[in-house]
Amino acid sequence: MLSRNLRIACRRYSQSVTTFRTSEISPAQQNSNQIGLFYTLDNDLCKQLYGHGGLPKCFLKQTKTFTETTFMIRQPALEIIECIKATDFNKPAIRYVLHGEEGTGKSMTIAHLLHYAHQEGFLIIHVPWVSNWLRRVSRYKEMANSLTKEGFVDIPLDAAAWLLHFKTQNQHLLKSGELKVSKDYEWSKREKTPAGSTLLELIEHGIVRVKYACDVVDTLLHEVKLLSNTKQCKTFVAIDGYNGFFNPLTNLHTPTKKKVAPEEVTLTASFLELTKNDWTNGVMLLSTDAIAHPEYEQESYLPKYLLYRKGFDHIDPFVPIEVSNYTEKEFMTCASYYRDRLWLRGSPDIEKELKITSAHNPYRFMELCAPL
Amino acid sequence: MSRILQLSLRHINSVTKYPNQATNELLKNCARANSNKTRTNSDDLFQEFTDWETLNKKKTVSKAMKAYLERAREHDDFMKKQEFEFTVGKRHLANMMGEDPETFTQKDVDRAIEYLFPSGIYDPAARPLMKPPEEVFPARKAAEFDEAGRPHHFLFYTGRPNFFKLLYDASEHIQNIYKFEDKVIRKKAIPDPNAKLELTSSVWYSKEELEQHLVENITELEYENFKLVMERLVSLPYSYRSKEFIEKVRKPIASQKFALEIPKPSYDEEGREYITTYECLRKKARGDVTIRSPGSGKITINGKDITYFADTQSREQVTFPLLFTGMEDRVDVECNIEGGGPSGQAGAIRWGIAWGLRSFVDKSMIDSMQVAGLLTRDPRKRERKKPGQPGARKKPTWKRR
Repeated sequence: MLSRNLRIACRRYSQSVTTFRTSEISPAQQNSNQIGLFYTLDNDLCKQLYGHGGLPKCFLKQTKTFTETTFMIRQPALEIIECIKATDFNKPAIRYVLHGEEGTGKSMTIAHLLHYAHQEGFLIIHVPWVSNWLRRVSRYKEMANSLTKEGFVDIPLDAAAWLLHFKTQNQHLLKSGELKVSKDYEWSKREKTPAGSTLLELIEHGIVRVKYACDVVDTLLHEVKLLSNTKQCKTFVAIDGYNGFFNPLTNLHTPTKKKVAPEEVTLTASFLELTKNDWTNGVMLLSTDAIAHPEYEQESYLPKYLLYRKGFDHIDPFVPIEVSNYTEKEFMTCASYYRDRLWLRGSPDIEKELKITSAHNPYRFMELCAPL
Repeated sequence: MSRILQLSLRHINSVTKYPNQATNELLKNCARANSNKTRTNSDDLFQEFTDWETLNKKKTVSKAMKAYLERAREHDDFMKKQEFEFTVGKRHLANMMGEDPETFTQKDVDRAIEYLFPSGIYDPAARPLMKPPEEVFPARKAAEFDEAGRPHHFLFYTGRPNFFKLLYDASEHIQNIYKFEDKVIRKKAIPDPNAKLELTSSVWYSKEELEQHLVENITELEYENFKLVMERLVSLPYSYRSKEFIEKVRKPIASQKFALEIPKPSYDEEGREYITTYECLRKKARGDVTIRSPGSGKITINGKDITYFADTQSREQVTFPLLFTGMEDRVDVECNIEGGGPSGQAGAIRWGIAWGLRSFVDKSMIDSMQVAGLLTRDPRKRERKKPGQPGARKKPTWKRR
């Protein structure tokens, strides 16, 4: 037993000599020399940032297996970080749109950039996956007609869950109590949020009084915009599967069995309002994903096709960033990382076969390695 | 016209032993009307058969001989008739096809029959045919004894004279070779190594083929004996002296073709070697595969890369021949494939790549590819559903009542 442990330890040590890890754990300091290398995230931070969603499920499973959360430093993330560093925050917020084939790492890029935004002290507004709201109809899905907006539909539980997510992600900024509400909000006869109360109180209200969660989200986003404009905070908006907002129909339906269009959901309206570039001091990172598209077999993974005309017009001046498959170098470091984690075993020829079979696709590669 | 068709049909079926008289008359007229050459031809043929009239004049004829003569005459008459009908039918067929009857060969006959009587029957042997009667009716032995009942052959009473004659000759050859060997030893000469008998390109007749060759039925044991004797003859150092005798009971092997027919690659405008394999088939998929060397391992399938196939198994199928030969980063592959589903298409491409790679790898690799089954076509197809049952083989659930 001892000899076996020793052998494994030896192998670990000998393999760790080959560089597939970097000790540079601060995304702001990462540069193009470290492309293809893995860096490890702190577990507490991980829980805070991605505790309520943000990492793809399969990756989450893998982190459990590997007992660590590591991100590969890749070109698109570095490119956006460079852009953010060079941005003039007095100008309207710039929208970055991530696009790419399925399984190339769009969500992982967003996760990486969330880490960057957290480190840089951005207020994070993160939607883990739009289709969770609009397409997934679980047994406990609760729907109600909106009290404030005529003809709109509320999904209060989802909104409350998202408020919790927002609160966890930004707990440091919110606890300081500097972010204050600009005017009075009256929810009902007895419940109201006076001007000057903190954002945290507003959020707590939304979580406790789930009935008003959607309105709270709407108010919150509006307030954040104002706060950003007045330079009290800088805001980082990240929405994964953004094209879900522009699909013709959702899977939701009203009690009268009428299908609901995405634009009839209050949350959609709030977030579409947020993603207009009529405010400053912020960054918007959106991703368009073929999986969020209603048709089973997509013709294209490009934003124009996935967003339809109206979506494309809505975010029109944007910076498209393509997330592509692994390069040769990235593939090799990933393979050696998997070998280090004993996720991939066997003769060195295996890599060659996996490379061709997976066609350098990160998700495919991970899936193929699973039974090896 | 209908008469003619009827005539040719009868030939085709070759079952009517005794055609009716009226048609026969017509045939004779036809033959006479045609040309003199045909008649002389058939006359020559007739003379090949036994001259029974002279034989019958002898007085002392045994009963067995009489019966035999009767049977033989019947057979000869029948064959004569068949031969005649065949020649006339062939001429009619040539006229129907608008070709010259004089130069109408058996090949043309087969083609005409295939054209006039298209058949979808699976077994080629069951399709309509029109062949010379010698091929259709099995050969029979000629008279084995004279009018007095004395057999011609010295081994007649063994029951299988031809077979035992073969063994007898073989043993005689062996004895001759022994004698020759003794002579060589006495002269103190060395056997010429170049004059060795080449046996790799042919095999012994099988039992059925030997039976056909000898016009006799033999038992399993006798066939074993035949092989034993022949092997012994072949094993002798001077067996090349009986080469002619040995070749008579061997047949050449027609396989081993693929190894000889490896095409040389041609050059494209960029100066790269390329080879295109057409007709890559599997299930319902059809396509062609082009392999270019030198390359960088780029695979193009209908304009897309390997992501054309969504499932891993199909991708593995496509890459397997490349990985097996170790050519995955030395050649480029382009495929056009249509029809069928993913697994059929992948299988077709796999075969196409393997077939094309023969031109780029060495002999030993081709052999191992052959052993790995890469060069073998997969002939399996979807089996049709049968009426009365839910599937091709599936039977309805059995219920007692």
